Parts: sequence; C-alpha cells; structure tokens
Amino acid sequence: MNFKSKSQPKSRKYEPKPEFVERIKLLLPDEKDYNDYVEILNYPPVRSIRCNTLKISPDKLKKKLEEKSWIVKQPWKNHEEIMIVEGKIIGKKRNNQKEKDSNIKINNQQKIQAKQDFEQPTSVGDDNFGVVVGDVVDLEPGELGRALEHMLGYYYIQELASMLPIIALKPKPNELYLDLCSAPGSKTTQAASEMLNTGTIIANELSLGRIKILASNLEKNGVTNAIITKKDGIALCKRLKKNLPEIKFDKILVDAPCSGEGTLRSSPITYQMWSMRTVHTLSQIQKQLFASAFGILKVGGEMVYSTCTHAPEENEQVVNWALNKFENAIQIEKIEIPVKSRPGITKWKDEDYKEEVKHACRIYPQDNNTEGFFLAKFKKLKEVEE
Amino acid sequence: MNNEQPKFTPLKILNEHERSEIIAILEDNFGIKKIEGIMLQRGKERLFLYKGSFTEKQIKNLEYEIPIERVGVYFAKIIEDQKSKERYIKLSIEGIQLLKDQITKNIYELQSDEQADSWMKGQDLNIKTALRGFIAIKYKNDFLGCGKASAEKIGNFIPKTRRLRDKSIIK
Repeated sequence: MNFKSKSQPKSRKYEPKPEFVERIKLLLPDEKDYNDYVEILNYPPVRSIRCNTLKISPDKLKKKLEEKSWIVKQPWKNHEEIMIVEGKIIGKKRNNQKEKDSNIKINNQQKIQAKQDFEQPTSVGDDNFGVVVGDVVDLEPGELGRALEHMLGYYYIQELASMLPIIALKPKPNELYLDLCSAPGSKTTQAASEMLNTGTIIANELSLGRIKILASNLEKNGVTNAIITKKDGIALCKRLKKNLPEIKFDKILVDAPCSGEGTLRSSPITYQMWSMRTVHTLSQIQKQLFASAFGILKVGGEMVYSTCTHAPEENEQVVNWALNKFENAIQIEKIEIPVKSRPGITKWKDEDYKEEVKHACRIYPQDNNTEGFFLAKFKKLKEVEE
Repeated sequence: MNNEQPKFTPLKILNEHERSEIIAILEDNFGIKKIEGIMLQRGKERLFLYKGSFTEKQIKNLEYEIPIERVGVYFAKIIEDQKSKERYIKLSIEGIQLLKDQITKNIYELQSDEQADSWMKGQDLNIKTALRGFIAIKYKNDFLGCGKASAEKIGNFIPKTRRLRDKSIIK
C-alpha cells in the first residue's frame, strides 16, 4: 500500500467491537480490501492544511512554509489551496531553483533517501517534490498548529476528506449559505473562502463550548460574512420556515453528527464509544435534520448531506428515506470530487435502497490515504407540500 | 413572529453617527478613512464588523427568532480613559489585518526574527520609540496585531489563543 508516512504506526489502545468488525467485513467483502482498511487504521492521517485564500494566496503561503524548510505538496491539481505537509528539512533549507544545479550532484543520495522516506500519500497528486538537502524529519508534535502562519490565520488544519463536502457543494459568492452543524468551523471557513467573504453564511451550533471554538476559528480566518446562531438544528429550520419564510438558502450543508467510524485514524477512542444503539439513535436525528434543512432550501438550491462514518443506517438509509419522503421535489446529483470514491450501496442487510443512492459517495481511508467519509448531494426541484 | 424575547444580550447596530465617531478615531490614530459593512457593538466596548449581504433589518429579524451568538468578526475594542474620558480604539489582530491597506501611520516595524518571535509570544517589547498610544505592529509583509507604545516599551495585546508557544517558530 501507499499510505505510510514518516510517522510510525500507533500501538492500538482500543480494540474494535466484534459487531463493528462484522459490519465492516460486510461492507468490504474483499479480503485484501478489508485488510488494507484495517492496516491503514494503524497510521495517523497525513498532515493536511487548507490555505485561507481570504488572507493569502496558495503560492505565497507555500513559499512561506518552504522558507521554514517544510516539505509541502499540493495533492489535488484544481485545488491549489489544499496542501500536505510531509515533514521538514533540518540542516539546510530546501533548495530554490538557482541552487538546484549546484547541489544536485553532491546531495543526490539524500534526495533519493528523502523520496523513499516520503511516499506519495495520495493517488491523485502531482509530484512537486523538488530537490532537498539536509536531513528530512517529521514535524514536531503540534508544530503545524503553533506556526506563525497558523496563528495569523493563513491556513486551517483540516483533514483531507473533511474538505470534500464543500468541494462538492461549491458555494459561490453572494449566495445565502447555511451550515447547520457548523462547529468547529472547518467547512464554514472553507465555504467563506469559496464565497470570497460575500453573501451570508448562517453558521449554526447548539453547544456553547463548541460555539466558542467556532467563533475563534471564524475570527482567526477573517470571516466577515458569517452570523453564528445558537439553536438546535431541527428547531432552527422549523423556526425559520414558520416565522421567516423569506429566508431560503441557495446552499445548505448538513454535516450531521454521526458515530464517527471514519475518524478511527485520528480518534481511536471511537472504537470504544461505538455502539449500534448510537448508530440507530443518530440515524433518526439525521433524518430529522435532513428533512428540516430541506424545508428551507430554495427551489433550485443544493444541499450536501455528509457524515464521517461508514454505517449505512446513517448514510444510504437516510438518503433513501429522503428520496422517498420528498419524491418529486428532490433529485440526488452526481458529485465531482478529486479522490477515488465508491458508490453508495443499494442493499444493506434486509433493506433495499433506490438505484439513485449510488450517486452518493463512500470514501474509505485505504483508497486515498484519508479518513473515512460519506457524502451525497441533492437539488430541490419544487416546494414540498406539507 | 412569536412573542418570545431573545435571551441573548441584544445586538446593538451602530448608527451613522456612532460609526463616524469610530472611524474618526481610527483616522486620527491610523489614517483609516473608510470602513465598509455593518458595525455592531456587544457590551460596552467590543466592536464587530459584518460585511455580508444581510441588511440591518434582516439581522434584527433573525435575532428576534433565533439566538445570535455573533455577527461578523471582532475587530476592535473601545477604550475610554477614566480621567480624560477620551476614547481610543484598540484594533484586534483581525481588525489590523482587515484594514491593513488603509493603515498609514503609527506603524512599528519589527526589526528581527527574534523580536517578531517575542512579540508573537505575547511579550512586551522593552524599546524606546517616538510612537505613543495604539500602534500597528508589522513584520516584513505581515501585520501582527496592535500594541501600545509608551516612553519605555510597546505593550503587547496578542490574545493568549493567538500566541506562539515554546521555542522559536518564526524561522
């Protein structure tokens, strides 16, 4: 496999529950595929950041980071703002073009070694590795978070898969955008960048503790077009629909609270917290969130439903339920994302789902060296009769 | 609309006169002549700037229905001198960054990586300058927030959450 970074695999503190293993084997019936999945969970995710284009261009940020001797890659060709920091060079700085020729001979061995140390982390990257001199080492723990450029809000530390919902939803300047479960603000700040700080973002969150983190992140990233609301997501939508019917959104993101099966690489404690009861409870909440949000989506507007879990009850079952509930008023759309994805499943245990559910995307960690994710995109075709 | 009153402290949207007062102080201090967007005040001193598409009326209507925690970005704080009652404006890091293109005076440029490092760790700079009062701190092309210059030092206002920790990270 092609996912190992300089980081060593973590010793596993938590073990998966037998029921979880059984379910994943059902989702990944191919033995090699399953083994690849299990293997990659032993490695922490790559260090990915997103350039905050409200403050600095990707070129300028990359240059600044390379001046710190960081090794920076831009894995997705049409998304220069997305970067992976693979490590740093100790001793001498990364070469610029002028120095390249004079150093290439004497440092060839080190170059080869560096390339061996840092394998290509994704299947869709361009190779801009360049020539390095000096020893290549991993960043220190926390170094990404305490760099000056991070403190100034020039980049946001965000896992690659978590960037996909906004890439799929494509919020545009001057639109009215709702992020129903907004904290900690990764996708909200990403949307603000896409919208060039114009239009309006309603960033909703219920928990006051999480609102503080959200507000801090929006502030650090210079987001001036957002209004943070504190309300249960379902209640917020109902209130808006009933009392402020003139507010209809062009785009809505329902990044729903979920059982987090996709985050096992960064948060192995999820193994311990996971239970089928939680999955079923969350599935009900997710359906309500979906339906409430769909009610305040503009006709012609688009909505992305996403989770960071693999559980079909929280993913395809919700999508299938929504397609049935809203019938002629809803259309599931194909998604363009820069990673390998697998289609939504149409059968899970005793349940059969609509064929269109295949337009949803399953992101498995072993496919792209990311965390696990699920997303589906919808268009509202007409108002829903109550 | 229902009769339930908002539980949060009501948002105060600054009127034209109040806005002009704020901008006049900022012009005097930093050369800032114009601020676009809606200015809001929370409490006695915290100022926020919202540059989205909602009108003042739409914000108020939304606030009536849904608790609003924040509108826009925290960009400045009003400081009133207890004795003279004179008002000053301390810009936040974001305020400085948002308005940096208009800041033409009272700028102190840090002289070295070490000085920038100290500043970002939240340390006062024990240096004498001709500057007095609130100033913008700049290092190379980056604005690093607001300080207060006195005869002996430049006081540091970098909030704890934005400070660099432990060893030198600048280089």
